[in-house]
Amino acid sequence: MSVTAYVMVKSNTGEADRVKNALSEIDGVAEAHIVAGDVDFVVKVVTDSPADVKTVAASAIQNIDGVERTHTYIAMD
Amino acid sequence: MRFIVIGAGRVGLRTARVLREEGHEVTLVEADEDRATRARDDGFDVFEGDGSHEDLLVDAGVESADAVGALTGDLNTNFAACLVGKHHGCRTVMRIDEDYREGIYQKYAEEVDEIVYPERLGAIGAKNALLGGNLRAIADVAENLQVVLFTITDDSPMKGYNLSEVTLPSAARVLAFGKAGESMGIPLPDDSLEAGDRIAVLADFTVLGDVRQLLLGRSEAEQAAAQGGESA
Repeated sequence: MSVTAYVMVKSNTGEADRVKNALSEIDGVAEAHIVAGDVDFVVKVVTDSPADVKTVAASAIQNIDGVERTHTYIAMD
Repeated sequence: MRFIVIGAGRVGLRTARVLREEGHEVTLVEADEDRATRARDDGFDVFEGDGSHEDLLVDAGVESADAVGALTGDLNTNFAACLVGKHHGCRTVMRIDEDYREGIYQKYAEEVDEIVYPERLGAIGAKNALLGGNLRAIADVAENLQVVLFTITDDSPMKGYNLSEVTLPSAARVLAFGKAGESMGIPLPDDSLEAGDRIAVLADFTVLGDVRQLLLGRSEAEQAAAQGGESA
């Protein structure tokens, strides 16, 4: 069973392209978009289990230089 | 001109007042009832509601406005208001909340013509106030281009000369001139530089130090360093 989640990413750098590329290269990231508003990126994550979502969001995304915080929403449908 | 300002808070309301003082027509859009009332008491036309909703902006007259200033503290509202404004042919100005976002919106938000970060302007004002003295940065025109206002002192090397005799570096231009106590005006070649006169110069950062030295002379630290050099 695959799990889909949306991760809202707030950064603290103007280097949006670099962060977007780093996000896109993460295993499990299906899409990454630069967005207007109070977060800077919305990332669609598709993994095999809810635990993998946590690995992607909490470890891989948070480790990118310039990422300040993340909020993860797991899709229910 | 006709303007719609979204947000009647500390940034939006002040902006609306300045525009009105200069004879422009301003309509405010504000979601908060208290703020809307305050702006009405101030004599403004206020449309109450969410500035990111197109129907409200249409009611406020976005179709006939020249420009939309999205100046709330909420980025989503501001960006949506700019999208609507641009759709209706307005020039759009968006307030942002953190300076790192300026470049991102400049690059990606085609619907936003200009970005305003009020805290930066506040910081320039605070810096000028702290430094005091005879040099005041007025505006950053580009990354490396600044408009600076100098006040001539008794120590200015150019004191007593006419403007036509002031030879600035090639990457600098005199923009405006004002005699002491009078308002600034167009610089004329035979304006003479006396203590207390003000001169506004557009200069590239690379020559700003030269311009300052020409108009104000050396700072005390520089004089001390030069004297130290001479005596050694």
